[in-house]
This record gives sequence, structure tokens and C-alpha cells, in this order.
Amino acid sequence: MQPTPGRGASPMLPLSYLVTAAAAFVLAALAVPWLAPELAGHYYQPRILALTHAVTLGWITLTIMGASYQIVPIVLGRPIWSERLARWQLVLTAVGIAGMVGHFFFGEWSGLVWAAGLVTLGVGAHLVNAALSVRGLTQWTFTARLVVLAYVGLGLTTLFGALLGVDKLVRVLPGSLFPNLHAHVHLALLGWVLPMVIGVAARVYPMFLLAREPVGWPGRVQLWGLGLGVPATVLGILGSGALLAAGALAVAAAVGAHLAWVLDMVRGSRRPALDWGLRFVLAGAFALVPATVLGLALAFGTLAGPRVALAYAALALGAWASLTIAGMLLKIVAFLVWYRVYGPRVGREPVPALPDLGWPAGERLAWALLTTGFAALAGALWLGEPAWIRAAGAVVAAGAVMFAATLARVLHHLMPCARRAAAPASRVGAA
Amino acid sequence: MIRRGAGAGRPFEPAPRPGELDRLRPVEVDVRDDIRRGEEPFARIMAAARTLAAGEALVIRAPFEPVPLYDVLGRRGLGHWTERLAEADWRVWFHPAAAAPPAPRAGDGAAGPMLDVRGLEPPLPMVRVLERLDTLEAGGTLTVLHERRPLFLYPQLEARGFRHETDEPEPGLVRIVIRRPEA
Repeated sequence: MQPTPGRGASPMLPLSYLVTAAAAFVLAALAVPWLAPELAGHYYQPRILALTHAVTLGWITLTIMGASYQIVPIVLGRPIWSERLARWQLVLTAVGIAGMVGHFFFGEWSGLVWAAGLVTLGVGAHLVNAALSVRGLTQWTFTARLVVLAYVGLGLTTLFGALLGVDKLVRVLPGSLFPNLHAHVHLALLGWVLPMVIGVAARVYPMFLLAREPVGWPGRVQLWGLGLGVPATVLGILGSGALLAAGALAVAAAVGAHLAWVLDMVRGSRRPALDWGLRFVLAGAFALVPATVLGLALAFGTLAGPRVALAYAALALGAWASLTIAGMLLKIVAFLVWYRVYGPRVGREPVPALPDLGWPAGERLAWALLTTGFAALAGALWLGEPAWIRAAGAVVAAGAVMFAATLARVLHHLMPCARRAAAPASRVGAA
Repeated sequence: MIRRGAGAGRPFEPAPRPGELDRLRPVEVDVRDDIRRGEEPFARIMAAARTLAAGEALVIRAPFEPVPLYDVLGRRGLGHWTERLAEADWRVWFHPAAAAPPAPRAGDGAAGPMLDVRGLEPPLPMVRVLERLDTLEAGGTLTVLHERRPLFLYPQLEARGFRHETDEPEPGLVRIVIRRPEA
């Protein structure tokens, strides 16, 4: 027997990240209908940049960071190196993100650089914590490799972003603005978010779909596709059309292989029915198809211009990333709250089952609003009609509010009065 | 629901018959004719599983190895032992998991009851373990078979005064031996 290697983080640590991220999602979604006139124009405007960073940093990055403090110990079997550092990191990153969004919104570039510096410190703390957590890892599984690849992507994205901010005050970056901007965006999307999501999906989806863990050639295609495709895409955006096309094809192959695995897991699922968290995740996976097609069209120059680029962003950041993350949150937040409140009482007294904490009707409505809203938003952005963008944005905003309400319903179990009300009428440990 | 599982087509390697099966009364459900007629036998199987009494084993006869049932009935606390009687004739004994055979290649003397929580959706593995531990006598041990190291279970065990050790006898199989200290 070997000593037990460690344990998961306190549930309140990831929860504090996830609640902050959900608040950012709601604020960003509420801003979409309000920013409809700007969204009908070019994407390089201060308020659009503010909205984009509220989504990419406030919602997506904070969620992934928080979720990683719960999921990484499970999927990699390693404890978090320092929970205290993780708490300080949230403060630094959240304040920095709020500062960045605010300064983008008002176009105050000097303040933006300071705020970006705070975000860089926060990300640096996360990377140090992650590196020291996986130090000594002996089994370099598919998930472990992609998580490390994602962290490399996060570091480079943050560095590139900070340089873009400094570049507004002092010229430090070679090349012109838009290639640098597009490279930064794709480093974030393909180098940070994509490998983290598909790496974690390979371990977590089977856990919840009750399917066998995927194996075989699609794993190699995903690893090589992202490992080679992302650098090629980013360098291609910065200078070489041929490299960009090759990189985009490699990333598309990785996405295709990921979808093959997801399909395989769904087919092999032993669940009698999918819950709404899984339906969010699968709807997000489905959205990868149009997002990838648009990405390829942009890479090959078949389509071009701000309208297509904004539609592509709505599909990638909204329909894929946001739906996937929302689905994972429905699973993760419920587990963390259940574990915090009822875990110590299991086996000693009746406790609610995990599904009893959720609100399926609210989740169903949030799913319908967000899937419809993101699809409509992509179409409206392509058309460039402010009225349509406002209408689609209102549907997204309603979905985000509904999603937050479902999370609040779960979180209210942290209140002592909710615990007293829930326990007596519930089953013991059924699910 | 009862369909050829992911294990279909793999070579079958019979495990040693658990001696505990001799003490159980078999309740046989033969679904070979149902499947030949194209009928779904899952409801019959689950009805039999629901009415299984203490001291009984559910014995399924099927024309193929019913791999999906292993996890479905495993979630009801039933372990399994499989026999291949002919090319298209399988007999699977589903029995209380505590009577399951020891983990393959178990290295050291893990004694006491065994609980297989593989294939369960989180947090059911933790629930099953903690519920079982509630009835564990002082000085007793429970061996848990898991798919991964249960990092969220360990603090619960320590808070309740249990001692535990974890190893990985083979890839994809994690074994946790939990001991309740002497009173």
C-alpha cells in the first residue's frame, strides 16, 4: 500500500470562483441587448472589447480556474498545492478583470495596463499552483497532457494580452494591430479553452454519462491536432496564410476527433435519461460543428469581414464554450454544495440525493433560452441588424438570468434553514 | 436496455467461482427466448432484482454476455460472476456485492467485506461507502473498489475516525481498505 496522495480542495474554494464567474456571465449577457448598436458595427470598439473580456476572462476563465480546483485533483489524482494561494489568486484576478472590463468600456488605456497587470499576477499564481500540484505526476494520461497544454496556452495568452495592452501606450509588438489581436483571440480560444475542455471531457463526461472512458486513435488526433495546429494557426495569423490553413485543418481534425469521442460516449451511456447539465454540454459540443466550419472558412479566406467574425465569436464563445461550461457548472456546483452540506451526514441521517438539489424546470428553460438565444445571436450578428441583435441578446440575457436562478436554487442549500427543510422528506443517497 | 455491451467480442476469461454462491439460493431468469423473439427483457430482470431476498442470487441466462447489466445491477449493490456455457449461452450470477471475489491481483491481505462502486455517478460511490461504513463493527475493514482515487471521500473518512489505505492493483482499478479502529 502507498500513502494516500492527497484530497480535494475545500468546496468553498471552487464555489467562490464559480459564483463570481456566473455573476460575470449574467452581467455580460445583460449587456448584449444594450450593446446591440455597437455589435452591429465593427468588433474593434471599446465596449465590444469590454464585453468580450467579461465573457472570456470573467465567465470562461474564472469558471475553468475554479472548476480545475475541484476537477484536477479528481482527474489527475493530485491535491491542490496551496488553497491559500488559490484564494488570493481569485481576489487578484477578479479585481483585475473588473478593472480591465471597466477600462476597456471607457477606453482608458493606462488604467487598462494596471488592471491587466493584476490579471497577469492572478494567472501567474494559478499557473504556479497548477505546476506545483502536478509536479511528480507519474501517469501522463491524455487528460494530463491536454491540461498542461492548456496551461501553456493560458500563460502565452495572458502574456500576449498584457503586451497588447502595453502596446497601446508604448509600441512593443511588431506587426499590425489586427493580426496581433486575432492571434491573441485564437491563442485564448484554441490554446487555452479548447484543450482544457476536451482534456477534462475525456475523464469527466464518462463519469456522468456512465460510459466507458474513450480510447484509441481519436485521442492521438486531438493531442497532435492541438499540439501542432494551435501554434501553426497563431503563427499563420501573424504572417503566413499557408501555415494558417494547415493549422486550422489540424485544429479542425482535433475537434472532429473530440466529437467522435463524445458521440461514442453518448452511444455507450448507461444512463436511462440525460439530465439538463448533460444536455447543455452536448448542445455545446454540437455547436462546435458550425463554429469550426466558420473558423475554417475564415482561415481559408472563403468568408471575411467583421460580420462573419462576430457570428463566429457568438458560436465559439457563446454556443460552444458557454453552453459547455454552463452544463459543467450545473453538475459541479450541485456536487460541491451537496458535499459541503450533506456529505458529513451521509450514513448517519437521511440526506437529499444530488438531483434533489437541482431545479429541472428552471434548467430546461435556461437550456431552451440559451441554445435558441446563441443560435439567433450568431445569425443576427451575421446580418448586422441592431433590432435582431437586441432581440437575440434579450433571449440570451433571459437564459443567463434563468441559469443563475437555477444555480441560486442549488446554492440556497448552504443556508441552514434550507438544510432543515430538505433532509426529512428526502431519500437516503438515491440518485 | 439489455444489449450487447462494450465487452462484446472480447475474449472471455472465466474468473474463479466465489464459494459464497453455494450458500445462496439461485433465482433464475432466462431471457434467451425473449431476445430471440425480439422482446425487451429488461423489465423482467429488474422486477426480479427488486424482489431478490437476503440469501438469494439472481441468475440470468442470456444468448450473449449482458455487460450493461453489470453496472445497472452493480448500482443496486449486486456483484456478478459469469459463466459461458456455450457459444450463445451465458449464465451470470448476480449476488450481494459483499460476497464478491477479491480484486484481481490483490497484493496484501485485504480482509472483510468488499464494495464495488465502479460505474456509479458521483457522489453515489461516496454515499454507498459511507452508508456501508455506518454498519461496520469496531476493528472491521471494508475494501472498496473504485475507478479513481476518491479524494473527496478521504476527509469524510478521517472526520469519522476511520483509517484508510489506497493502492492501484491494476490500471483503472483503485482499491481503498478502510478500517474502523477498535472501540
